[in-house]
Amino acid sequence: MEKKFVFTPKLRYITYALMVVGIIAIAIAFSMDPTRGWVNLLLNNFYFLSIAIGASFFLALQYITQSGWSSAFKRIPESLSMYIPIAAVFMVLLIFGMNSLYSWIQPERYHFDEHELHLLEHKSPYLNVTFFIVRLVLYFAVWIFMTQMLRRFSLKEDMEGGVAWFAKSEIYSKVYIFTLALTFSLASFDWLMTLEPTWYSTIYSLKNFISAFYHGSAVIVLVVLIMHTRGYFQFITDAHWQDFSKYVFILSIIWAYFWFSQYLLIWYANIPEETTYYVKRLSGSWEVNFYVNLVLNWLVPFLVLLPNYFARKKFILAGVIIFVMIGHYTDLFEQVIPGTLGEYRIGLVEIGTFMGFAGLFLYIFMRTLSRASLIPENHPLLEESLHHTGH
Amino acid sequence: MNKSKIFGVFDQEEKLVSSIRSIKAKGISISDVVSPYPVHEVFEELNLKTRIPVAAFLYGIFGLLTTFGFLYWTSVVNYPLVFGGKPQNTLSFVIIIFVMVINVTVAFTLITFFLIEKKGPGAKPSVEYPGISDNRYLIVIDITPETDVKALNKLLMDTGAVEITEQ
Repeated sequence: MEKKFVFTPKLRYITYALMVVGIIAIAIAFSMDPTRGWVNLLLNNFYFLSIAIGASFFLALQYITQSGWSSAFKRIPESLSMYIPIAAVFMVLLIFGMNSLYSWIQPERYHFDEHELHLLEHKSPYLNVTFFIVRLVLYFAVWIFMTQMLRRFSLKEDMEGGVAWFAKSEIYSKVYIFTLALTFSLASFDWLMTLEPTWYSTIYSLKNFISAFYHGSAVIVLVVLIMHTRGYFQFITDAHWQDFSKYVFILSIIWAYFWFSQYLLIWYANIPEETTYYVKRLSGSWEVNFYVNLVLNWLVPFLVLLPNYFARKKFILAGVIIFVMIGHYTDLFEQVIPGTLGEYRIGLVEIGTFMGFAGLFLYIFMRTLSRASLIPENHPLLEESLHHTGH
Repeated sequence: MNKSKIFGVFDQEEKLVSSIRSIKAKGISISDVVSPYPVHEVFEELNLKTRIPVAAFLYGIFGLLTTFGFLYWTSVVNYPLVFGGKPQNTLSFVIIIFVMVINVTVAFTLITFFLIEKKGPGAKPSVEYPGISDNRYLIVIDITPETDVKALNKLLMDTGAVEITEQ
């Protein structure tokens, strides 16, 4: 059995090249229109942060349910969640761009009517710059602490063995999912929903949380698929693929459920403050994006992974996940852009910034992955994962 | 009385599956397996194939299209009522479509299944044995002139059958 993932110089240079593209794209964006630069930073940082958060949630869930089947892959969610400190750096950086992103900071600069200004004043005990920064620091403190602890326990387990570290990880995971549910919900309110400060939806945070879990799991599956074709994880059976595609399939349905819940409640209640969100997104070229989002994130995985036959085919599963990951971008694009830049525009700047963040994300991921053995040898449930049969 | 079938009765899923494997290894063909719930290994061992899921999927599509057609006709074409300025052709149809797709799929699949298997209210069951819908698993083997009944009985007994009867 291979011991370690090798971060070859070739892979390293690819990630460097991607990062250079990203830096150039961001520089162009800032020289043309600073707002566009800040928006792209926020959008792409949240994209990869939510993957990291979703992966860490996946890891915590495997500990809590004491799942055996996934234990051989646990280094992957662990390494994916190591992006969180980098995301923290970018979010701190974004504090300097808050004025161009969030209209609630200086509402007089925007076209708010009297009623809307009154609403913003009503929200000001929560929505003010100081408290925003305090919360931001608090969220990242919790996430970084918890993911680093889980990582440390896992590495100690490799050295010492026994079940003590597993038991400890389980307790930390239990604490983590509760704190994560609260902090990530508030974080998605803070960073994305307040881009349109007079609009509100309480299910918004749930949708973003599920979206993070969904796309985090999808990335884990994609990474395992790619590594399998490169010669790692050769013990994988059909039952593993079945379980992986089940994850993607079920989460796509849950995602659609929350996506639709938000729409239906707003449609049904028909409150002007709420409906503006969908009116904006169902007019002009945004309408295409609205339905493409649903097709990529739900319809494609649902229809393709429905037959058992497809669910076990690696390349079909990988193709579906690529669609889902594009879907995650359209989803965030729809949440961020209408409230900030307003017009529907995907140019080289957007693509370049995405490539840059992807390079950074992959660099952090592969570097972390190469530092510890790929298979957690002393995991108490490892044998179950190596001989997984499905039932 | 002409006895034509041997029933091997089991009380554990694992024993049932291992028994099926050893019977198959002897080259004896199993005509039926009865269990209170679906056992995946049995499908794999007996190589059972079904096209019911395909039929169910098609019924689902049918339910989706007809329900959407009905809703579209009633609320957009035939009697367009504007309430609260809401658009008439909206995703709010999804709730009713969702429920109707389940309804249509389940009903039609059930009818299809009954027709194919010749089951349903009033039909005579092909296998009768106390406990098969409760906690008993059956392996049904047809007796042909070549069948070595004694050896078969011994094989079933050795693999953990709690009872062996003939019908």
